[in-house]
Amino acid sequence: MTNLNELEPIFRKVFDDDSILLQRETSSDDIEEWDSLTHMNLVVALELSFKIKFALGELQKLRNVGEMLDLINRKLGK
Amino acid sequence: MSSSIIRNSQHNIGFICTGQQCDAGLGDKLAMRWISPRFERQDFTFSELDRFSNKFANILQSVGVGAGEVIFTFLPKSTEQFFAFLGSLKTECITGTLFSNFGEDALLDRLGDSKARLVVTRKSLYRKIERIRDQLPHLKTVILTDVAEHSANDVLSWKKLMDEASEEFTTPCTAPDTPSVLHYTSGSTGKPKGVLHRHGSILHQNRTTREVLGLLPDDLFWCTADQGWVTGTSYGIIGPWSQGVTQIHFAGGYSAHGWFELLQNEGVTVWYTAPTALRMLMREEQSLFREFDLSQLRCIFSVGEPLNPEVISWGRETLEKDIFDTWFQTETGGIMIANHPGLPIRSGSMGIPVSGIEPAILDDDGTILADDMHGNLCIREGWDSMYITYLNNDTAYSSKFNKGWYHTGDMAWRDKDGYYWFLGRSDDVINTSGHLVSPFEVESALLELPEIVESGVIGAPDELLFEKVVAFVNFHPDVEFTPEMELNIRLHIANRLSSVAIPQEVIQVESVPKNKSGKIMRRVLKARYLGLDAGDISTLEE
Repeated sequence: MTNLNELEPIFRKVFDDDSILLQRETSSDDIEEWDSLTHMNLVVALELSFKIKFALGELQKLRNVGEMLDLINRKLGK
Repeated sequence: MSSSIIRNSQHNIGFICTGQQCDAGLGDKLAMRWISPRFERQDFTFSELDRFSNKFANILQSVGVGAGEVIFTFLPKSTEQFFAFLGSLKTECITGTLFSNFGEDALLDRLGDSKARLVVTRKSLYRKIERIRDQLPHLKTVILTDVAEHSANDVLSWKKLMDEASEEFTTPCTAPDTPSVLHYTSGSTGKPKGVLHRHGSILHQNRTTREVLGLLPDDLFWCTADQGWVTGTSYGIIGPWSQGVTQIHFAGGYSAHGWFELLQNEGVTVWYTAPTALRMLMREEQSLFREFDLSQLRCIFSVGEPLNPEVISWGRETLEKDIFDTWFQTETGGIMIANHPGLPIRSGSMGIPVSGIEPAILDDDGTILADDMHGNLCIREGWDSMYITYLNNDTAYSSKFNKGWYHTGDMAWRDKDGYYWFLGRSDDVINTSGHLVSPFEVESALLELPEIVESGVIGAPDELLFEKVVAFVNFHPDVEFTPEMELNIRLHIANRLSSVAIPQEVIQVESVPKNKSGKIMRRVLKARYLGLDAGDISTLEE
């Protein structure tokens, strides 16, 4: 099962911040660079890393990283 | 020009927005309701705004930053932004605001060119400045708003400094021509230019707040613009507070439900937002809007990009409100042309000139054109909020003026009833979601990637963003253009420049069209992208 430790390097690369420490509750309010435009970078990075596809707007509904992780795991069939 | 807001020749923006409101008996009035991304509320009266900005003014003096020197805020939406902005203006420092999504190149250009002495930022954003700090010899002090203790002699804690600073400060009597606010703006060539304003701009910002936005003493105003943008300072700070009007400021991002909850629950009466945001709202499930009672909301205004007629129709049908488009630029400092209540809206038009502003449509030789003719939108120089120079670039400043007219760089026409209609830019600057992006800067940043040989960048029409950034890229022969490479490009631009400059499309090409002197022919790229005739290509290098 994918976990926060696997997401962390992706977030750090996308938001250019090695100090990012993810928790399930982490949201766009906690990461300064996470806006609607960099969000698209995150979507692409997650898709490429996990070889999955998100439907349009699927990630917009998520409230935090924990829900994002759950969605990824559902897509991976884990 | 005389104005009721000027007392004893005092033009200081910081003082007029705070101390003068207290002197007028508004000290206990709510100046700002601050709403966090999690919808926690914090209220500040005009008296608190005055005292907290006084404290910051004293901090600047204590660290040796004085009149005429440049300080910047580099913050996400936060309360400190407002205290620092107003406090530094009280000391007659030049005050710049930086978008928190700026990357290192964007920061270096701005902090370096302005010789900034001090930056107020957060710990997580400071790491970007740290990487370039050795190239910023003039930057003496950094203040971090989210650390409890000073971490070095020149990296100080906002909280500690504010706790220790006196809340008494005597603002000098400031002449109207004293430099005040600094915003950098992008052109089609070269580095971003520092648009420098003066304290006297407050006359126009105050006037348009009253005459265009129609703000009244009991209004509750919400301007959604970030303070990194001229709208965020001219109308998110100066205009309303110079009029003693209460504002809400929301630190969260776009959320249809969250925004409408704020409009309803806070009782916002006048709302100033952007076309991209309105177009995003149009894409929401329309039943959402029926949940909310917006009976207190009197007016909606828009700024940043042309407001398409569909948005105006949507506003009428779904919200039962008119949406009024306004037009201005960083250089104009305040609204120049606008639709406003009492004036019949012509959907898609910029509106009519505001009082005291004389626009005209000129041809390339400077001749005034008749109604209905397309040409350069120009403004007769001398209005109160006209910028006073491009910092360190008087030549560029002079080039914007000819025979008493300021050339906006926008193309437009005027109908027989005096309404102006926007046609587009006369240069290659890209307007994406109201942010001007320089194709030159994006092209330069792309060339920093070792895989790229050459690049050309254009703005292409986009339903949501008005224009999107499109990059044409020629890779080295041994480089494969993969989705990973595209992501790399997107991340590089976001982290070096800004998220608004991220190319929404990256197109691989075998060569980038250039003229015989090596200049990228962006109009050829644009024509090819849009499937149009490229026109005269006689200068194209084979």
